[in-house]
Amino acid sequence: MAEENYINLTIDGTQVKTKEGMTILEAAKSVGIDIPTLCFLKDINEVGDCRMCIVEVEGRKGFATSCIQKVEEGMIIHTHSPAVLEARRVILDLILSNHHKDCLTCSRSGNCELQNLAIKFNVQNIEYTGKQSEHTIDDLSPSIVRDFNKCILCRRCIATCKNVQKIGAIDCMNRGFDSCISTVNNQSLRDVNCTNCGQCIEACPTGALREKDNTDEVWKALKDEKKYVIVQTAPAVRVALGEEFRYANRYKCNRKNGNGS
Amino acid sequence: MPIGTNVTGKMVTALKKLGFNKVFDTNTGADLTIMEEGNEFIERLSENKNLPMITSCSPGWVKYIEMNYTENLKHLSSCKSPHEMYGAILKTYYAEKNNINPNSICVVSVMPCVAKKYEANREELSNQGMKDVDIVITTRELARMIKQGNIEFVELEDSSFDEPMGEATGAGAIFGTTGGVMEAALRTVSEKLTGNSLEKIEFETVRGEEGIKRATVTIGEKEIKAVVAHGLANAQKIMEEIKSGKADYQFVEIMACPGGCVMGGGQPIKSSKTRMTVDVRKKRADALYTIDEKSVIRKSHENGVIKKLYDEFLEKPGSHKAHELLHTHYIAKEKYNI
Repeated sequence: MAEENYINLTIDGTQVKTKEGMTILEAAKSVGIDIPTLCFLKDINEVGDCRMCIVEVEGRKGFATSCIQKVEEGMIIHTHSPAVLEARRVILDLILSNHHKDCLTCSRSGNCELQNLAIKFNVQNIEYTGKQSEHTIDDLSPSIVRDFNKCILCRRCIATCKNVQKIGAIDCMNRGFDSCISTVNNQSLRDVNCTNCGQCIEACPTGALREKDNTDEVWKALKDEKKYVIVQTAPAVRVALGEEFRYANRYKCNRKNGNGS
Repeated sequence: MPIGTNVTGKMVTALKKLGFNKVFDTNTGADLTIMEEGNEFIERLSENKNLPMITSCSPGWVKYIEMNYTENLKHLSSCKSPHEMYGAILKTYYAEKNNINPNSICVVSVMPCVAKKYEANREELSNQGMKDVDIVITTRELARMIKQGNIEFVELEDSSFDEPMGEATGAGAIFGTTGGVMEAALRTVSEKLTGNSLEKIEFETVRGEEGIKRATVTIGEKEIKAVVAHGLANAQKIMEEIKSGKADYQFVEIMACPGGCVMGGGQPIKSSKTRMTVDVRKKRADALYTIDEKSVIRKSHENGVIKKLYDEFLEKPGSHKAHELLHTHYIAKEKYNI
Protein backbone atom coordinates (compact mmCIF):
# COMPACT_ATOMS: atom_id res chain seq x y z
CA MET A 1 0.00 0.00 0.00
CA ALA A 2 1.21 3.51 -0.81
CA GLU A 3 2.23 5.73 2.03
CA GLU A 4 -0.81 7.36 3.47
CA ASN A 5 -1.23 11.05 2.89
CA TYR A 6 -1.63 13.28 5.87
CA ILE A 7 -3.36 16.62 6.08
CA ASN A 8 -2.57 19.47 8.44
CA LEU A 9 -5.37 21.64 9.69
CA THR A 10 -6.39 23.68 12.71
CA ILE A 11 -9.48 22.88 14.73
CA ASP A 12 -10.43 25.31 17.51
CA GLY A 13 -6.85 26.53 17.68
CA THR A 14 -5.36 23.04 17.90
CA GLN A 15 -2.99 21.87 15.19
CA VAL A 16 -4.27 18.57 13.85
CA LYS A 17 -2.47 16.10 11.60
CA THR A 18 -4.93 13.68 10.16
CA LYS A 19 -5.32 11.11 7.42
CA GLU A 20 -6.58 12.24 4.05
CA GLY A 21 -10.19 11.27 3.47
CA MET A 22 -11.30 11.81 7.06
CA THR A 23 -14.31 13.98 7.72
CA ILE A 24 -14.04 17.11 9.85
CA LEU A 25 -16.21 15.33 12.44
CA GLU A 26 -13.75 12.41 12.65
CA ALA A 27 -10.71 14.71 12.70
CA ALA A 28 -12.22 16.73 15.57
CA LYS A 29 -13.07 13.53 17.43
CA SER A 30 -9.45 12.36 17.07
CA VAL A 31 -8.31 15.34 19.18
CA GLY A 32 -11.16 15.07 21.66
CA ILE A 33 -13.39 17.79 20.21
CA ASP A 34 -16.99 16.73 20.26
CA ILE A 35 -19.25 18.15 17.53
CA PRO A 36 -22.97 17.49 18.12
CA THR A 37 -24.77 15.33 15.56
CA LEU A 38 -28.28 13.99 15.06
CA CYS A 39 -28.75 12.27 11.71
CA PHE A 40 -25.21 10.89 11.63
CA LEU A 41 -24.75 7.17 12.32
CA LYS A 42 -21.30 5.88 11.54
CA ASP A 43 -21.08 3.71 8.41
CA ILE A 44 -24.88 3.64 8.19
CA ASN A 45 -26.22 7.16 7.71
CA GLU A 46 -23.66 9.75 6.63
CA VAL A 47 -25.78 12.17 4.65
CA GLY A 48 -25.46 15.62 6.26
CA ASP A 49 -29.19 16.02 6.52
CA CYS A 50 -29.95 17.62 9.88
CA ARG A 51 -27.11 20.20 9.81
CA MET A 52 -26.58 19.93 13.56
CA CYS A 53 -22.88 19.24 13.00
CA ILE A 54 -22.16 22.43 11.06
CA VAL A 55 -18.83 24.20 11.61
CA GLU A 56 -17.21 27.40 10.38
CA VAL A 57 -14.32 27.10 7.94
CA GLU A 58 -12.33 30.34 7.68
CA GLY A 59 -12.49 31.93 4.25
CA ARG A 60 -15.65 30.11 3.24
CA LYS A 61 -19.18 31.34 2.97
CA GLY A 62 -21.82 29.57 4.99
CA PHE A 63 -21.22 26.59 7.20
CA ALA A 64 -19.66 23.23 6.38
CA THR A 65 -21.47 20.02 7.35
CA SER A 66 -18.74 18.27 9.32
CA CYS A 67 -20.09 14.71 9.09
CA ILE A 68 -19.64 14.63 5.31
CA GLN A 69 -17.12 17.40 4.58
CA LYS A 70 -13.63 15.94 4.14
CA VAL A 71 -10.59 17.62 5.67
CA GLU A 72 -8.39 19.74 3.40
CA GLU A 73 -4.86 21.03 3.81
CA GLY A 74 -4.64 24.24 5.79
CA MET A 75 -8.27 24.41 6.86
CA ILE A 76 -8.94 26.58 9.90
CA ILE A 77 -12.09 25.31 11.57
CA HIS A 78 -14.20 26.63 14.41
CA THR A 79 -16.57 24.09 15.86
CA HIS A 80 -18.11 26.16 18.64
CA SER A 81 -17.86 29.81 17.54
CA PRO A 82 -20.76 32.13 18.51
CA ALA A 83 -22.04 32.05 14.91
CA VAL A 84 -22.01 28.24 14.85
CA LEU A 85 -23.73 28.03 18.21
CA GLU A 86 -26.44 30.44 17.12
CA ALA A 87 -27.10 28.57 13.89
CA ARG A 88 -27.22 25.22 15.68
CA ARG A 89 -29.65 26.65 18.18
CA VAL A 90 -31.97 27.75 15.36
CA ILE A 91 -31.80 24.30 13.78
CA LEU A 92 -32.57 22.66 17.12
CA ASP A 93 -35.45 25.06 17.77
CA LEU A 94 -36.95 24.26 14.39
CA ILE A 95 -36.72 20.52 15.04
CA LEU A 96 -38.22 20.90 18.51
CA SER A 97 -41.06 23.07 17.23
CA ASN A 98 -42.57 20.04 15.50
CA HIS A 99 -41.73 17.37 18.07
CA HIS A 100 -44.14 15.97 20.65
CA LYS A 101 -42.27 16.95 23.77
CA ASP A 102 -43.92 14.51 26.16
CA CYS A 103 -40.56 13.48 27.57
CA LEU A 104 -42.05 12.52 30.95
CA THR A 105 -43.75 9.48 29.48
CA CYS A 106 -41.22 8.70 26.79
CA SER A 107 -39.29 5.42 26.90
CA ARG A 108 -36.17 7.23 25.72
CA SER A 109 -36.19 9.96 28.36
CA GLY A 110 -32.66 10.06 29.75
CA ASN A 111 -31.25 8.29 26.72
CA CYS A 112 -32.51 10.53 23.92
CA GLU A 113 -30.09 12.28 21.60
CA LEU A 114 -32.55 15.14 21.02
CA GLN A 115 -33.20 15.64 24.73
CA ASN A 116 -29.46 15.62 25.39
CA LEU A 117 -28.97 18.36 22.82
CA ALA A 118 -31.79 20.42 24.33
CA ILE A 119 -30.00 20.18 27.68
CA LYS A 120 -26.63 20.95 26.14
CA PHE A 121 -28.00 24.01 24.34
CA ASN A 122 -29.83 25.19 27.44
CA VAL A 123 -33.17 25.29 25.65
CA GLN A 124 -35.63 26.91 28.04
CA ASN A 125 -38.20 28.01 25.55
CA ILE A 126 -38.84 27.16 21.94
CA GLU A 127 -38.95 30.24 19.77
CA TYR A 128 -40.86 28.85 16.88
CA THR A 129 -44.46 27.92 17.29
CA GLY A 130 -46.73 26.85 14.51
CA LYS A 131 -48.45 23.87 13.04
CA GLN A 132 -47.72 20.52 14.66
CA SER A 133 -48.12 17.41 12.60
CA GLU A 134 -50.37 14.78 14.17
CA HIS A 135 -49.95 11.12 13.43
CA THR A 136 -51.59 7.99 14.77
CA ILE A 137 -49.28 5.71 16.74
CA ASP A 138 -48.77 2.36 15.03
CA ASP A 139 -48.72 -0.29 17.75
CA LEU A 140 -50.18 -3.24 15.87
CA SER A 141 -46.86 -5.02 15.40
CA PRO A 142 -46.14 -7.36 18.33
CA SER A 143 -42.54 -6.11 18.29
CA ILE A 144 -42.20 -2.47 17.25
CA VAL A 145 -44.17 0.67 18.10
CA ARG A 146 -43.91 3.58 15.66
CA ASP A 147 -44.72 7.04 17.02
CA PHE A 148 -44.11 9.39 14.16
CA ASN A 149 -44.93 12.42 16.34
CA LYS A 150 -41.48 12.02 17.89
CA CYS A 151 -39.68 11.55 14.58
CA ILE A 152 -37.12 14.17 13.54
CA LEU A 153 -36.72 12.81 9.99
CA CYS A 154 -33.06 11.91 10.50
CA ARG A 155 -33.53 8.80 8.32
CA ARG A 156 -31.25 6.61 10.44
CA CYS A 157 -33.99 3.97 10.57
CA ILE A 158 -34.45 4.05 6.80
CA ALA A 159 -30.72 3.60 6.18
CA THR A 160 -30.62 0.69 8.61
CA CYS A 161 -33.66 -1.07 7.16
CA LYS A 162 -32.76 -0.41 3.54
CA ASN A 163 -28.98 -0.71 3.48
CA VAL A 164 -27.91 -2.81 6.44
CA GLN A 165 -30.83 -5.24 6.32
CA LYS A 166 -31.85 -4.79 2.64
CA ILE A 167 -35.53 -4.88 3.62
CA GLY A 168 -36.80 -1.37 2.93
CA ALA A 169 -39.97 -1.68 4.99
CA ILE A 170 -39.90 2.06 5.71
CA ASP A 171 -39.02 5.08 3.62
CA CYS A 172 -39.57 8.82 3.42
CA MET A 173 -42.91 9.82 1.94
CA ASN A 174 -44.19 13.22 0.77
CA ARG A 175 -42.29 16.50 0.78
CA GLY A 176 -41.84 19.61 2.91
CA PHE A 177 -43.92 19.85 6.08
CA ASP A 178 -45.79 16.69 5.04
CA SER A 179 -42.60 14.60 4.92
CA CYS A 180 -42.90 11.49 7.01
CA ILE A 181 -41.32 8.08 7.43
CA SER A 182 -43.83 5.45 6.53
CA THR A 183 -44.52 2.12 4.95
CA VAL A 184 -46.16 1.06 1.71
CA ASN A 185 -49.60 2.65 1.63
CA ASN A 186 -49.01 3.85 5.21
CA GLN A 187 -49.85 0.39 6.54
CA SER A 188 -48.91 -0.86 9.98
CA LEU A 189 -45.47 -2.47 10.28
CA ARG A 190 -47.41 -5.64 11.10
CA ASP A 191 -48.79 -5.82 7.58
CA VAL A 192 -45.71 -5.09 5.50
CA ASN A 193 -42.38 -6.78 4.79
CA CYS A 194 -40.89 -5.90 8.22
CA THR A 195 -39.00 -8.84 9.74
CA ASN A 196 -39.44 -7.50 13.31
CA CYS A 197 -35.65 -7.41 13.80
CA GLY A 198 -35.80 -4.04 15.58
CA GLN A 199 -32.53 -2.68 14.22
CA CYS A 200 -34.47 0.52 13.43
CA ILE A 201 -35.10 0.98 17.16
CA GLU A 202 -31.37 0.75 17.85
CA ALA A 203 -30.78 3.43 15.20
CA CYS A 204 -33.47 5.88 16.35
CA PRO A 205 -32.11 8.91 18.27
CA THR A 206 -35.53 9.62 19.87
CA GLY A 207 -38.58 7.68 21.02
CA ALA A 208 -40.13 7.50 17.54
CA LEU A 209 -39.35 3.78 17.38
CA ARG A 210 -39.50 1.59 20.42
CA GLU A 211 -40.25 -1.97 21.46
CA LYS A 212 -43.76 -3.06 22.37
CA ASP A 213 -43.52 -2.92 26.16
CA ASN A 214 -44.86 -6.07 27.85
CA THR A 215 -43.65 -5.36 31.39
CA ASP A 216 -47.21 -4.76 32.65
CA GLU A 217 -48.10 -8.35 31.77
CA VAL A 218 -45.08 -9.60 33.70
CA TRP A 219 -45.99 -7.55 36.81
CA LYS A 220 -49.54 -8.90 36.54
CA ALA A 221 -48.30 -12.50 36.39
CA LEU A 222 -45.97 -11.91 39.35
CA LYS A 223 -48.88 -10.56 41.38
CA ASP A 224 -51.11 -13.53 40.57
CA GLU A 225 -50.68 -16.08 43.34
CA LYS A 226 -52.14 -18.83 41.21
CA LYS A 227 -49.38 -18.45 38.67
CA TYR A 228 -46.02 -20.18 38.83
CA VAL A 229 -43.82 -17.69 37.04
CA ILE A 230 -40.56 -18.98 35.57
CA VAL A 231 -38.11 -16.61 33.95
CA GLN A 232 -35.33 -17.55 31.56
CA THR A 233 -32.64 -15.27 30.19
CA ALA A 234 -30.86 -15.43 26.83
CA PRO A 235 -27.05 -15.49 26.67
CA ALA A 236 -26.71 -11.99 25.16
CA VAL A 237 -28.75 -10.31 27.92
CA ARG A 238 -26.16 -10.89 30.66
CA VAL A 239 -23.38 -9.09 28.79
CA ALA A 240 -25.46 -5.96 28.07
CA LEU A 241 -27.95 -5.49 30.93
CA GLY A 242 -25.32 -3.78 33.13
CA GLU A 243 -25.04 -0.95 30.59
CA GLU A 244 -28.46 0.28 31.69
CA PHE A 245 -27.23 1.00 35.21
CA ARG A 246 -24.86 3.64 36.47
CA TYR A 247 -22.63 3.44 39.48
CA ALA A 248 -23.84 5.73 42.26
CA ASN A 249 -21.55 8.70 42.97
CA ARG A 250 -20.15 7.21 46.13
CA TYR A 251 -18.63 4.40 44.14
CA LYS A 252 -15.16 4.76 42.82
CA CYS A 253 -15.95 3.75 39.32
CA ASN A 254 -13.25 2.74 36.99
CA ARG A 255 -15.08 3.54 33.79
CA LYS A 256 -13.02 3.25 30.72
CA ASN A 257 -13.05 5.88 28.01
CA GLY A 258 -16.10 5.91 25.81
CA ASN A 259 -18.22 3.57 27.83
CA GLY A 260 -21.11 5.90 28.47
CA SER A 261 -24.57 5.24 27.15
CA MET B 1 -21.55 -0.16 33.97
CA PRO B 2 -19.07 -0.58 31.11
CA ILE B 3 -20.18 -2.14 27.82
CA GLY B 4 -19.57 -5.87 27.79
CA THR B 5 -19.62 -6.39 31.57
CA ASN B 6 -20.84 -9.87 32.45
CA VAL B 7 -23.55 -9.28 35.08
CA THR B 8 -24.99 -12.82 35.22
CA GLY B 9 -24.85 -13.05 39.03
CA LYS B 10 -26.46 -9.66 39.68
CA MET B 11 -29.09 -10.31 37.03
CA VAL B 12 -30.13 -13.57 38.69
CA THR B 13 -30.30 -11.86 42.09
CA ALA B 14 -32.43 -9.06 40.64
CA LEU B 15 -34.83 -11.56 39.04
CA LYS B 16 -35.19 -13.39 42.35
CA LYS B 17 -35.88 -10.09 44.11
CA LEU B 18 -38.55 -9.27 41.54
CA GLY B 19 -40.38 -12.36 42.73
CA PHE B 20 -40.06 -14.95 39.97
CA ASN B 21 -40.66 -18.47 41.29
CA LYS B 22 -37.70 -19.85 39.37
CA VAL B 23 -34.83 -18.27 37.47
CA PHE B 24 -33.47 -20.48 34.70
CA ASP B 25 -30.93 -20.09 31.95
CA THR B 26 -31.85 -20.11 28.25
CA ASN B 27 -28.29 -21.38 27.67
CA THR B 28 -29.62 -24.75 28.85
CA GLY B 29 -32.23 -24.46 26.11
CA ALA B 30 -29.40 -23.66 23.70
CA ASP B 31 -27.65 -26.89 24.70
CA LEU B 32 -30.88 -28.75 24.00
CA THR B 33 -31.11 -27.04 20.60
CA ILE B 34 -27.60 -28.23 19.77
CA MET B 35 -28.54 -31.82 20.64
CA GLU B 36 -31.54 -31.72 18.31
CA GLU B 37 -29.99 -29.61 15.59
CA GLY B 38 -26.74 -31.59 15.65
CA ASN B 39 -28.68 -34.80 15.29
CA GLU B 40 -30.79 -33.34 12.49
CA PHE B 41 -27.65 -32.24 10.67
CA ILE B 42 -26.00 -35.66 10.97
CA GLU B 43 -29.18 -37.28 9.59
CA ARG B 44 -29.40 -34.89 6.67
CA LEU B 45 -25.70 -35.33 5.96
CA SER B 46 -25.93 -39.13 5.90
CA GLU B 47 -28.98 -39.01 3.61
CA ASN B 48 -27.58 -36.06 1.62
CA LYS B 49 -30.99 -34.47 1.97
CA ASN B 50 -32.05 -30.82 2.17
CA LEU B 51 -28.50 -29.54 2.39
CA PRO B 52 -27.29 -27.05 3.26
CA MET B 53 -29.15 -27.03 6.54
CA ILE B 54 -29.75 -23.52 7.89
CA THR B 55 -30.17 -22.60 11.56
CA SER B 56 -33.56 -21.43 12.76
CA CYS B 57 -32.96 -19.67 16.11
CA SER B 58 -33.29 -16.11 14.84
CA PRO B 59 -37.01 -15.26 14.47
CA GLY B 60 -36.35 -12.20 12.30
CA TRP B 61 -34.39 -14.42 9.94
CA VAL B 62 -37.13 -17.08 9.95
CA LYS B 63 -39.78 -14.49 9.07
CA TYR B 64 -37.48 -13.16 6.35
CA ILE B 65 -37.03 -16.53 4.63
CA GLU B 66 -40.75 -17.28 4.97
CA MET B 67 -41.51 -14.06 3.09
CA ASN B 68 -38.67 -14.04 0.57
CA TYR B 69 -37.40 -17.55 -0.20
CA THR B 70 -40.45 -19.74 0.21
CA GLU B 71 -39.08 -22.40 -2.14
CA ASN B 72 -36.08 -22.85 0.17
CA LEU B 73 -37.91 -23.41 3.46
CA LYS B 74 -36.86 -27.07 3.45
CA HIS B 75 -33.31 -25.94 4.16
CA LEU B 76 -34.29 -24.54 7.56
CA SER B 77 -33.64 -26.75 10.55
CA SER B 78 -36.96 -27.84 12.03
CA CYS B 79 -35.67 -26.99 15.52
CA LYS B 80 -37.55 -24.45 17.59
CA SER B 81 -35.35 -21.70 19.01
CA PRO B 82 -33.72 -22.31 22.43
CA HIS B 83 -36.18 -20.36 24.61
CA GLU B 84 -39.17 -21.98 22.88
CA MET B 85 -37.70 -25.48 23.37
CA TYR B 86 -37.02 -24.63 26.96
CA GLY B 87 -40.55 -23.33 27.51
CA ALA B 88 -41.97 -26.56 26.09
CA ILE B 89 -39.81 -28.63 28.46
CA LEU B 90 -40.73 -26.50 31.48
CA LYS B 91 -44.44 -27.03 30.83
CA THR B 92 -44.09 -30.80 30.42
CA TYR B 93 -41.08 -32.56 31.93
CA TYR B 94 -40.35 -29.98 34.62
CA ALA B 95 -44.02 -29.50 35.56
CA GLU B 96 -44.60 -33.24 35.84
CA LYS B 97 -41.45 -33.83 37.85
CA ASN B 98 -42.24 -31.06 40.30
CA ASN B 99 -45.95 -31.64 40.49
CA ILE B 100 -46.91 -28.26 39.09
CA ASN B 101 -50.05 -27.81 37.00
CA PRO B 102 -48.64 -26.81 33.59
CA ASN B 103 -51.60 -24.51 33.02
CA SER B 104 -50.50 -22.41 35.99
CA ILE B 105 -46.97 -21.99 34.63
CA CYS B 106 -46.19 -18.64 33.05
CA VAL B 107 -42.89 -18.67 31.16
CA VAL B 108 -41.27 -15.25 30.77
CA SER B 109 -38.28 -14.97 28.42
CA VAL B 110 -35.83 -12.10 28.72
CA MET B 111 -34.38 -11.68 25.26
CA PRO B 112 -32.07 -9.27 23.42
CA CYS B 113 -34.62 -9.31 20.66
CA VAL B 114 -37.97 -7.77 19.70
CA ALA B 115 -38.69 -10.41 17.03
CA LYS B 116 -38.93 -12.96 19.87
CA LYS B 117 -42.16 -11.20 20.90
CA TYR B 118 -43.56 -12.03 17.47
CA GLU B 119 -42.13 -15.56 17.60
CA ALA B 120 -43.76 -16.38 20.95
CA ASN B 121 -47.16 -15.63 19.40
CA ARG B 122 -46.71 -18.05 16.50
CA GLU B 123 -49.43 -20.66 16.74
CA GLU B 124 -47.05 -23.51 15.88
CA LEU B 125 -45.00 -22.79 18.98
CA SER B 126 -47.41 -24.33 21.44
CA ASN B 127 -48.30 -27.70 22.82
CA GLN B 128 -51.79 -28.90 23.82
CA GLY B 129 -53.15 -25.38 23.63
CA MET B 130 -50.40 -23.92 25.83
CA LYS B 131 -47.94 -21.44 24.42
CA ASP B 132 -44.36 -22.60 24.96
CA VAL B 133 -43.46 -19.07 26.09
CA ASP B 134 -46.08 -16.71 27.50
CA ILE B 135 -44.36 -13.32 27.64
CA VAL B 136 -41.18 -11.97 26.07
CA ILE B 137 -39.47 -8.87 27.42
CA THR B 138 -36.26 -7.32 26.15
CA THR B 139 -33.04 -6.46 27.99
CA ARG B 140 -34.24 -2.84 28.11
CA GLU B 141 -37.61 -3.81 29.61
CA LEU B 142 -35.93 -5.92 32.28
CA ALA B 143 -33.75 -2.93 33.19
CA ARG B 144 -36.93 -0.85 33.56
CA MET B 145 -38.51 -3.47 35.82
CA ILE B 146 -35.41 -3.58 38.00
CA LYS B 147 -35.50 0.23 38.35
CA GLN B 148 -39.26 0.15 39.05
CA GLY B 149 -38.64 -2.50 41.68
CA ASN B 150 -36.28 -0.10 43.49
CA ILE B 151 -33.40 -2.53 43.18
CA GLU B 152 -29.90 -1.01 43.31
CA PHE B 153 -28.53 -3.21 40.57
CA VAL B 154 -24.83 -2.35 40.82
CA GLU B 155 -24.82 -3.10 44.56
CA LEU B 156 -26.34 -6.58 44.24
CA GLU B 157 -24.50 -9.70 45.34
CA ASP B 158 -24.18 -12.50 42.81
CA SER B 159 -26.40 -15.54 42.84
CA SER B 160 -26.68 -18.61 40.64
CA PHE B 161 -29.47 -19.83 38.40
CA ASP B 162 -31.90 -22.18 40.11
CA GLU B 163 -31.21 -25.90 40.08
CA PRO B 164 -31.79 -28.29 38.49
CA MET B 165 -32.64 -26.59 35.21
CA GLY B 166 -30.03 -23.86 35.39
CA GLU B 167 -26.97 -25.81 34.35
CA ALA B 168 -25.56 -24.71 31.03
CA THR B 169 -22.36 -25.02 29.03
CA GLY B 170 -20.00 -22.57 27.39
CA ALA B 171 -21.41 -23.74 24.07
CA GLY B 172 -24.82 -22.39 25.13
CA ALA B 173 -23.31 -19.03 26.10
CA ILE B 174 -21.78 -18.29 22.69
CA PHE B 175 -25.20 -18.64 21.00
CA GLY B 176 -25.47 -14.92 21.62
CA THR B 177 -22.87 -13.91 19.06
CA THR B 178 -22.52 -14.45 15.33
CA GLY B 179 -20.80 -17.79 14.70
CA GLY B 180 -21.66 -19.10 18.15
CA VAL B 181 -24.40 -21.51 17.14
CA MET B 182 -22.19 -22.92 14.40
CA GLU B 183 -19.27 -23.37 16.81
CA ALA B 184 -21.45 -25.01 19.46
CA ALA B 185 -22.93 -27.33 16.83
CA LEU B 186 -19.53 -28.24 15.38
CA ARG B 187 -18.24 -29.20 18.83
CA THR B 188 -21.09 -31.66 19.30
CA VAL B 189 -21.37 -32.88 15.70
CA SER B 190 -17.60 -33.58 15.55
CA GLU B 191 -17.61 -35.70 18.65
CA LYS B 192 -20.81 -37.52 17.71
CA LEU B 193 -19.50 -38.39 14.25
CA THR B 194 -16.01 -39.48 15.26
CA GLY B 195 -16.66 -40.76 18.77
CA ASN B 196 -13.48 -39.01 19.86
CA SER B 197 -12.90 -36.02 22.07
CA LEU B 198 -11.87 -32.86 20.20
CA GLU B 199 -8.32 -31.73 20.93
CA LYS B 200 -9.18 -28.12 20.29
CA ILE B 201 -12.76 -27.03 20.73
CA GLU B 202 -12.46 -23.45 19.49
CA PHE B 203 -13.45 -22.95 15.87
CA GLU B 204 -11.90 -19.53 15.33
CA THR B 205 -12.73 -19.32 11.63
CA VAL B 206 -16.41 -18.78 12.41
CA ARG B 207 -15.74 -15.99 14.92
CA GLY B 208 -15.42 -12.25 14.33
CA GLU B 209 -17.14 -9.37 12.59
CA GLU B 210 -16.86 -10.41 8.93
CA GLY B 211 -20.38 -10.36 7.43
CA ILE B 212 -19.98 -13.76 5.78
CA LYS B 213 -17.53 -16.31 7.22
CA ARG B 214 -16.69 -19.51 5.38
CA ALA B 215 -14.90 -22.42 7.02
CA THR B 216 -13.97 -25.95 6.05
CA VAL B 217 -13.88 -28.34 8.97
CA THR B 218 -12.47 -31.84 8.82
CA ILE B 219 -14.47 -34.29 10.89
CA GLY B 220 -13.04 -37.80 10.78
CA GLU B 221 -12.88 -38.54 7.08
CA LYS B 222 -15.48 -36.00 6.15
CA GLU B 223 -14.96 -32.41 5.13
CA ILE B 224 -17.78 -30.12 6.15
CA LYS B 225 -18.13 -26.71 4.62
CA ALA B 226 -19.81 -24.21 6.89
CA VAL B 227 -20.99 -20.66 6.30
CA VAL B 228 -21.93 -18.06 8.89
CA ALA B 229 -23.82 -14.90 7.88
CA HIS B 230 -25.24 -12.10 9.98
CA GLY B 231 -27.34 -9.10 9.01
CA LEU B 232 -30.09 -9.72 6.46
CA ALA B 233 -28.17 -8.15 3.57
CA ASN B 234 -25.59 -10.92 4.02
CA ALA B 235 -28.30 -13.52 4.49
CA GLN B 236 -29.69 -12.49 1.12
CA LYS B 237 -26.33 -13.15 -0.58
CA ILE B 238 -26.23 -16.67 0.87
CA MET B 239 -29.84 -17.35 -0.12
CA GLU B 240 -29.12 -16.29 -3.69
CA GLU B 241 -26.25 -18.81 -3.78
CA ILE B 242 -28.52 -21.56 -2.46
CA LYS B 243 -31.37 -20.64 -4.80
CA SER B 244 -29.13 -20.69 -7.87
CA GLY B 245 -27.59 -24.03 -6.90
CA LYS B 246 -24.13 -22.55 -6.36
CA ALA B 247 -23.98 -23.48 -2.68
CA ASP B 248 -21.32 -26.15 -2.09
CA TYR B 249 -21.63 -26.01 1.70
CA GLN B 250 -23.60 -28.19 4.07
CA PHE B 251 -24.24 -26.09 7.17
CA VAL B 252 -25.27 -22.44 7.41
CA GLU B 253 -25.83 -20.21 10.42
CA ILE B 254 -27.82 -17.04 9.85
CA MET B 255 -28.68 -14.32 12.36
CA ALA B 256 -30.92 -11.42 11.33
CA CYS B 257 -29.00 -8.82 13.31
CA PRO B 258 -25.52 -7.66 12.34
CA GLY B 259 -23.27 -9.14 15.04
CA GLY B 260 -25.88 -11.63 16.19
CA CYS B 261 -27.97 -11.42 19.37
CA VAL B 262 -25.48 -9.25 21.27
CA MET B 263 -26.54 -6.50 18.86
CA GLY B 264 -30.20 -7.48 18.85
CA GLY B 265 -33.06 -5.01 18.57
CA GLY B 266 -33.88 -5.39 22.27
CA GLN B 267 -30.45 -4.52 23.62
CA PRO B 268 -29.48 -1.26 25.37
CA ILE B 269 -29.50 1.54 22.81
CA LYS B 270 -26.13 3.15 22.18
CA SER B 271 -25.90 6.74 21.00
CA SER B 272 -24.40 7.66 17.67
CA LYS B 273 -21.43 9.05 19.59
CA THR B 274 -20.77 5.76 21.38
CA ARG B 275 -21.18 3.79 18.18
CA MET B 276 -18.58 6.03 16.56
CA THR B 277 -15.90 5.31 19.14
CA VAL B 278 -16.64 1.94 20.74
CA ASP B 279 -16.88 -1.47 19.07
CA VAL B 280 -19.99 -2.45 21.03
CA ARG B 281 -20.39 -5.79 19.23
CA LYS B 282 -16.85 -6.89 20.02
CA LYS B 283 -17.04 -5.94 23.70
CA ARG B 284 -20.28 -7.86 24.23
CA ALA B 285 -19.13 -10.84 22.13
CA ASP B 286 -15.78 -11.01 23.95
CA ALA B 287 -17.67 -11.21 27.24
CA LEU B 288 -19.57 -14.26 25.93
CA TYR B 289 -16.37 -15.95 24.74
CA THR B 290 -14.91 -15.33 28.20
CA ILE B 291 -17.93 -17.02 29.80
CA ASP B 292 -17.35 -19.99 27.46
CA GLU B 293 -13.63 -20.11 28.23
CA LYS B 294 -14.26 -20.14 31.96
CA SER B 295 -17.02 -22.75 31.81
CA VAL B 296 -16.25 -26.16 33.25
CA ILE B 297 -18.36 -27.85 30.59
CA ARG B 298 -18.06 -26.42 27.10
CA LYS B 299 -19.89 -28.97 24.94
CA SER B 300 -23.68 -29.21 24.88
CA HIS B 301 -23.74 -33.03 24.87
CA GLU B 302 -21.83 -33.08 28.16
CA ASN B 303 -24.46 -31.04 29.99
CA GLY B 304 -25.71 -33.22 32.88
CA VAL B 305 -29.20 -31.70 32.91
CA ILE B 306 -29.61 -32.40 29.21
CA LYS B 307 -28.35 -35.98 29.56
CA LYS B 308 -30.86 -36.58 32.33
CA LEU B 309 -33.64 -34.98 30.32
CA TYR B 310 -33.05 -37.46 27.49
CA ASP B 311 -32.70 -40.41 29.90
CA GLU B 312 -35.87 -39.63 31.82
CA PHE B 313 -38.10 -38.07 29.21
CA LEU B 314 -37.07 -37.49 25.62
CA GLU B 315 -35.24 -40.82 25.03
CA LYS B 316 -32.90 -39.56 22.34
CA PRO B 317 -32.40 -36.61 20.00
CA GLY B 318 -34.93 -36.69 17.19
CA SER B 319 -37.25 -39.07 19.06
CA HIS B 320 -41.01 -38.92 18.56
CA LYS B 321 -41.41 -36.96 21.77
CA ALA B 322 -38.58 -34.60 20.86
CA HIS B 323 -40.27 -33.90 17.54
CA GLU B 324 -43.58 -33.26 19.21
CA LEU B 325 -42.15 -30.74 21.67
CA LEU B 326 -38.97 -29.32 20.22
CA HIS B 327 -39.49 -29.10 16.48
CA THR B 328 -41.69 -26.92 14.32
CA HIS B 329 -42.58 -26.17 10.71
CA TYR B 330 -42.53 -23.09 8.53
CA ILE B 331 -45.19 -21.40 6.48
CA ALA B 332 -44.75 -19.35 3.33
CA LYS B 333 -45.92 -15.82 4.05
CA GLU B 334 -47.04 -12.87 1.96
CA LYS B 335 -44.81 -9.85 2.28
CA TYR B 336 -47.76 -7.50 2.31
CA ASN B 337 -51.15 -7.91 3.89
CA ILE B 338 -52.88 -4.96 2.29
